[in-house]
Amino acid sequence: MIRFESVEYIYPNGVKALDGIDLEIGDGEIVTIMGENGAGKTTLIKHLNGLLKPVKGKVLIDGIDTRKVTVASLSKKVGIVFQNPDDMFFSENIWEEIAFALRNFGYDEEVVKRRVENAINFMDLASYVDKSPFTLSGGEKKRLALAIVLAWSPDIIALDEPTIGQDILQKEKLLQVIKLLNSQGKTIIISSHDVEFIADLKPRIILMKRGKVIADGNAEEIFLNEELLKSCNLLPPQLITLSRELEFIGVRPRLYSPRELAAEIMTRLQR
Amino acid sequence: MAAILQGLQFYPGDSFIHRLDPRAKLLISTTFLFITLIYVEVTVTTIIIVAEALLAAISGTMRRWIKTVYGSIPFIVAVFLMNYLVRMFIPGQPPTQVILYESFAAAYRLIALLASFSIFFLTTTPEEIGMTLTKLKIPYMYVFAFISAIRFTPILAEELQTIMDSQRSRGLELDKGNPLTRLKRYIPILVPLIVNVLRRSYELAEAMEVKCFGASKKRTYLKELKLRPRDLFVIILTLISISISIYFKFINPIKIP
Repeated sequence: MIRFESVEYIYPNGVKALDGIDLEIGDGEIVTIMGENGAGKTTLIKHLNGLLKPVKGKVLIDGIDTRKVTVASLSKKVGIVFQNPDDMFFSENIWEEIAFALRNFGYDEEVVKRRVENAINFMDLASYVDKSPFTLSGGEKKRLALAIVLAWSPDIIALDEPTIGQDILQKEKLLQVIKLLNSQGKTIIISSHDVEFIADLKPRIILMKRGKVIADGNAEEIFLNEELLKSCNLLPPQLITLSRELEFIGVRPRLYSPRELAAEIMTRLQR
Repeated sequence: MAAILQGLQFYPGDSFIHRLDPRAKLLISTTFLFITLIYVEVTVTTIIIVAEALLAAISGTMRRWIKTVYGSIPFIVAVFLMNYLVRMFIPGQPPTQVILYESFAAAYRLIALLASFSIFFLTTTPEEIGMTLTKLKIPYMYVFAFISAIRFTPILAEELQTIMDSQRSRGLELDKGNPLTRLKRYIPILVPLIVNVLRRSYELAEAMEVKCFGASKKRTYLKELKLRPRDLFVIILTLISISISIYFKFINPIKIP
């Protein structure tokens, strides 16, 4: 369980990035943090494993105050996948790159071997094992970054802008991975402004603006509130816009899946 | 280290100093540097530091300027200790108090030296620095290299932070173990940093080529630098102070307490 208690964070240059955040995220939840650039999404995520410590208030991860433990010990519980994979690669090959964190956490060499192999198979990287991380394509790099974190199987996984620069197929795959991890009981936290991607996931959405949480609710509730989205420079998912346009034939605006919307249109037309 | 760099970055503002011609500002900074170099006396150094602080206050960059001074403390301490320790062990030196005083004077001068150009960099945009250097007949290629180095420093600092965050999230502990193993722990930070810098430099080179960098030898600017009366006034004032300092140092030396 993650708890933010009136957390405030001010960067050394005086920018107030978090301004009184109160938040509770339960075990096994999927939560998306949305909001425009500079709303404080990444800052919030960096508080999860203690990279940033609150100036005021406190962050509790399973009851542990992040100010009282090291980043390394918290990272075992909270895995963060950063936006730009290029900021983490340094090893000769993918195998070593994944093993790095496991060795830092002090696993036996045998466990390291098993976990690296699991992560490689899980993220479909088997054909690249001996390749240098620098030669991978953008999508493969993102997959490797996720594999690195999944290798030590943290209970909480935070993804910072996972869909940037990804094609449709990669996004589809990411969606499946996220759902699978969640079904294994992992808490997933995603920061993103990719509305369509989030609409497929139907998570709990936390909307941020200028360091404050301005809305917190399920995906449908948030996406149907046009004014709220507009104030955060977001557009509703296309299917919601479409269902609004179809109101004249009696379609109720909702967060449909494509199939649901098609069925709804058919029944309305038959009447 | 980072604090010194902060004091050498442009800080936006609209003060009298900001609006001065960059050449006048360069002259002021050079004068501070020159006077600090020719005089060793603590009194003169104090006058220079006070003058620098005064200019920083006028330009509204006092906090940054203090950061430069603050960030240079390790160097200042190092200079003091080096001076003091080395001279303690050389035979035929004056008594301890004199050595202490002179070591202090040397370290104290360093503040004035480091802070002298802070005023110039804090109040001058990279573009203006470029124009100044071009006016000084420095080839544009070198000018460009210099101003892009200034421009990329903050970006690099930010990137370093992100890389450190990434690796610490993978369980890397930078302040653990003896100095040698600690040094080894910096490899996962330096490799991505260097790779990213190289990548960026290639991108910059391509972007420059697309924009025909170096196609015409003579570079012109949209805004030309022009000396206005107040710039001339400042320049004359600065030249007078240089002349006075040269006069009392070399032509008619006086004893300064």
